[in-house]
Amino acid sequence: MADAAFLALSVITIGSAIAALELRSLIYGSIALMGTLGGIAGFFLLLDSPFVAMFQLAVYVGSIAVLILFTVMLVKRELIFKKVEDKRRKFVGIALMLVLMVSLGAVILESGIKEITTDEPAVDFREIGEDFLTYYWPALILMGLILSGAVTAALVLARRVDEENDQRVN
Amino acid sequence: MSVIAPNFKLSEFIKSILDVGFWGLLIFVLIGFPAAFIVLFYIEMPVINGELLTPFLALTWLADPSRTLPIIKAFMTTDLFRIAAFPGFGFAALIAAGTIFVERKMLAKLQLRVGPFYCGKIEGILQLMGDGLKLISKEIIIPAKADKPIFWAAPVLFVATAAAFVSLIPVTPGWVVADVDVGLLAVFAVIGFFPIITILSAWAANSKFPFIGGIRALFQMVSFEIPLILSFLGVVIVTGTLNLSEIAASQSSFPWIIFFPIGAIVFFITMLAELERIPFDLPEAESEIVAGWLTELSGMMYGLVQLGTYLKLYAFAGLFVVVFLGGWNGPMIWPPFPEEIITKGIELGPVTAQIPGLPVFSQEMLNGAVWFVLKTVGVIFFILLPRGVFPRIRIDLLLDLGWKKLIGLAFVNIFIALGLLYAGILGPGGIF
Repeated sequence: MADAAFLALSVITIGSAIAALELRSLIYGSIALMGTLGGIAGFFLLLDSPFVAMFQLAVYVGSIAVLILFTVMLVKRELIFKKVEDKRRKFVGIALMLVLMVSLGAVILESGIKEITTDEPAVDFREIGEDFLTYYWPALILMGLILSGAVTAALVLARRVDEENDQRVN
Repeated sequence: MSVIAPNFKLSEFIKSILDVGFWGLLIFVLIGFPAAFIVLFYIEMPVINGELLTPFLALTWLADPSRTLPIIKAFMTTDLFRIAAFPGFGFAALIAAGTIFVERKMLAKLQLRVGPFYCGKIEGILQLMGDGLKLISKEIIIPAKADKPIFWAAPVLFVATAAAFVSLIPVTPGWVVADVDVGLLAVFAVIGFFPIITILSAWAANSKFPFIGGIRALFQMVSFEIPLILSFLGVVIVTGTLNLSEIAASQSSFPWIIFFPIGAIVFFITMLAELERIPFDLPEAESEIVAGWLTELSGMMYGLVQLGTYLKLYAFAGLFVVVFLGGWNGPMIWPPFPEEIITKGIELGPVTAQIPGLPVFSQEMLNGAVWFVLKTVGVIFFILLPRGVFPRIRIDLLLDLGWKKLIGLAFVNIFIALGLLYAGILGPGGIF
């Protein structure tokens, strides 16, 4: 059962990832990207971590994919992208990806992943929270500072100075 | 006199019904009977308890409640029953249908109109059924330059997402379709799909009014998701769980709205915005942009989106009840099942029927369902009420409300929860 689900999820994830890269229509590409991100959430569910899976769905599919979709919809495609169709580059890219994947797979298989037993109960999200607040607290605070810095910087960058109003005041 | 819609004549209507009946009977006699006999002749019927299972015996068993009740009870424990009938789709659709009728009549009374009146004998009670038949029989028109696959898929996905939301709501103890450990997070994950479907449907229609409406819906839903998540955190901090059944069960002595009124108010306003109801119905503003993102939908596609909207309304009201109003908890008002039916059986004159397997539902379950439905209907009433009272507000005011005021109030709610927790009033080891 889990094997069938794993195979189906793998097909969905990899297939939609290829579709996201290859489709000419940007909207369909971003929908395929949503499929990839949702498939990864399915992998998290198979790995007994529903907490991470739900956050994957809520954050990646629910927010980031929407952001991409929204940006794509408001952009005229012809103005940005020039079609560069080059067969040789494509094949080289595919070959490079295969080499990378095979070497990564070899490394992962060598690392002793086969000896892991998988009948452990699901990780309780309370334990995740406790770990964050006790052992990993410096990392948590660092992440918080970086994120708030990024948000502040984005607000500063996106601020629009209304020049008309200045003239009116003067 | 047109050929397409001739004048209605009762005699011709009756004649057409009789015609259909005659031909049906004729086909049944000429084809159905011989087929049944061929089947009976060639197929060996099983022998059960020393008796040959003839069709007559099978019908007798079907009419015997002592044999059918266990089958019904076994069916009620299956997932199919939960998904299709009780805490799932059928129950939610029934409440949604009631909601639509009450909304129309109540708005009409508020605005000194009559509302639905002619369809059905009493106060237009069959109007919804008539509208449903009309929507099913209408032609579905796809705009010529629309993106057809997405445009077709969007209404179906909308209903499916709303049904997934409904499946997470616990109605009575143990009666929930999907009892997930991270229920509230699953709710947020499901809610996150609505803006995607909306904007895709709006874009696929390739028309300007749906696109404006879709972008408004996207702004509104995405920005109100954040106060929605934050308004729950107080309850989550105090109960220490994300499971909706456990949150409802934790309110057996008092509902959380007593301690977290600010969170409840923030959630209620957010709920109105997520449901696109007046005063936040900018995505469907019919006086500005025709019908917003629903403009190009026609026939049953529009019907599906409406069904999804009302399922979503029920699910949000149920979520409010479960998190803030105590879910199924309430004083016992359901009378106990009469003992003599279990011990003696049902007496009907000379006949006494001894039926094992009764009662079908326990008293607690029925009582919980009654309280849940009462509270949910109350919340739905308060969701409907602003439609008759308030005007629509501007989009910048809406976003300002969402990003500045509601998020601030939600943080106030979280700090109240933390204060109550550290003061030892609530939570593990607290007074309550």
